[in-house]
Amino acid sequence: MSRLTIAVPSKGRLKEQTEAWLAGIGHPLRQIGGERGYTAEIAGLDAEVRLLSAREIAQGLIEGNLHFGVTGEDLLNDLSPDPAGDFRVLKRLGFGPADVVVAVPQAWFDVDTMADLEAAGAAFRKAHGRRLRVATKYLRLTRRYFAQKSVGEYRLVESAGATEAAPATGTADVIVDITTTGATLKANGLKILRDGVILKSEAAFATSARAQFSPSAAAARAVLTGALSQGDHDF
Amino acid sequence: MTHDALVAVARAVFEAAGGTPVDPDYVLPADIPLELSGEAVRARLCVFTDNRGAEMAMRPDLTLPVAQREAARLEAGPSAKTYTYAARAFRLPAAADDPFEFTQVGLERFGYAADPSADAELFALVHRAVEACGVQPKAIVTGDLAIFPAFIDALGLPAVTTDLLKRAFRQEGGVRAVLDAASRPLDADILAALNAAEPETALAAVLAARDVPLVGARSLAEIVEGLRARRAAIEAGGLPDGARTALLALREVDCSLAEAADKLAALAKAHGLAGADAALGAFASRSEKILALVPGARRSAEFRAGFGRRFTYYDGFVFEVLADGLLPAQPVAAGGRYDGLIAGLSGGKVSATGIGGVVRPDRMVRVRRTRT
Repeated sequence: MSRLTIAVPSKGRLKEQTEAWLAGIGHPLRQIGGERGYTAEIAGLDAEVRLLSAREIAQGLIEGNLHFGVTGEDLLNDLSPDPAGDFRVLKRLGFGPADVVVAVPQAWFDVDTMADLEAAGAAFRKAHGRRLRVATKYLRLTRRYFAQKSVGEYRLVESAGATEAAPATGTADVIVDITTTGATLKANGLKILRDGVILKSEAAFATSARAQFSPSAAAARAVLTGALSQGDHDF
Repeated sequence: MTHDALVAVARAVFEAAGGTPVDPDYVLPADIPLELSGEAVRARLCVFTDNRGAEMAMRPDLTLPVAQREAARLEAGPSAKTYTYAARAFRLPAAADDPFEFTQVGLERFGYAADPSADAELFALVHRAVEACGVQPKAIVTGDLAIFPAFIDALGLPAVTTDLLKRAFRQEGGVRAVLDAASRPLDADILAALNAAEPETALAAVLAARDVPLVGARSLAEIVEGLRARRAAIEAGGLPDGARTALLALREVDCSLAEAADKLAALAKAHGLAGADAALGAFASRSEKILALVPGARRSAEFRAGFGRRFTYYDGFVFEVLADGLLPAQPVAAGGRYDGLIAGLSGGKVSATGIGGVVRPDRMVRVRRTRT
């Protein structure tokens, strides 16, 4: 990885907004092989550009296989065993907002806080002989936040998709998921706990704390960070 | 001495106390530790999935698989039994210098009288194993997870508050959160439903009126129970001042083991908590026996009221032995009482008292190395 390696999201709104942002800092992205290609170049930057999923980008930054990348803070924080030691967010980009929240059925009138959830979980275990199920894609974030709030009366169920439906389908009773407006949660009969916002996430331009920079990669880095601080004046 | 030599020395100490040597299953269904101790233990658990996708775990200690085997044995009828082991356990490292796998040398006793003598003898045995390995304890931290519940019971509070406080004691900052929690009033329609002749039916009507579906495995009856607890807390206006002061004072107790019984008794007396006398009597008797069996503990052993509350399946006397050159989170020996463990593992089918203790030769090797 002697050349600077930078990853941008490969599809969807996140990709479009990232392209707009790169153009805005004077380094527009050009995809090689048309819309379906998975490599690209960034104007004015000696770098290998990879088009990856947001999850792959977060993982690559954490493992040190990428120098820079645009991905969600939710993924970075969840996939990293040690956020402080694995990556640094250089710029929050203001798009792709998503709150990672703890949500319970609205019908649980007795549960408004994490402390209430722990109380309900203890009573549940007595009544059912098992722990309350919490469905999520965010295993690490959930575990960390629940521990911080001293909530231990639960079991994690890894969710592959449509987490918000887990209580209705009976695979879990509580969920940890992302939400922007809360409308999906509401439509599924769920409510966010008062102290249930784990992370206010948005898309971020981040660098790996583990990747090594060769002299040429360091030179490209200087170009990029220069453009970044330039961008601050423009916006 | 090498690691293996220390294992042999410690093992001889435990085996001299009697008992059947065991080396139970290495692999457990992950449900056993996770249902027993909650998701919090996952951070230290070596988990993998089998070919059908079921989560399995490498044994995180010997207590669990030994207790599991004992629970199965007890289905044939109650009888007391002692087990000893020098066997591998597996945990995800908490510190950079922690190993993934290590040997625990120890002993488990099930079904014997749970009294102060049994606690003191177990403590003395573990202490002897540490000393036999040539390690001098720097400090011994002790606790008693039965004291706080005894104080709560003696306060004569409503049952819901009592349950809430006992549970909160096990959480970091939990008791303070309960004590400080501002009562949140219930909505008028929910309160009216709760006060109705048939609260569940009335609550179902509230759900329908609000267009709220009932999803998840909690039933209306459980939600009503939770609401009753909330209402009771609101009506009680939180905790009476006396109870509050007593619990906060108890939380602060941190002294030498030799002084602890007098301190706790004075505290109970000052707050008129005669109901805690039995637990405090047992505590005093145990402390006395410990200091008689292990005179050095007069200098090295301390008592902390909050100690051990995060040790999930322990429910009585608990202790850890610390030595030079290691972090406070890396004791060279530890042990305690878990009278509810067998019942918990068997789903209430069988029950038996339980107590056990282990030493960590891998850590003692490091202590001996830093010393020389």
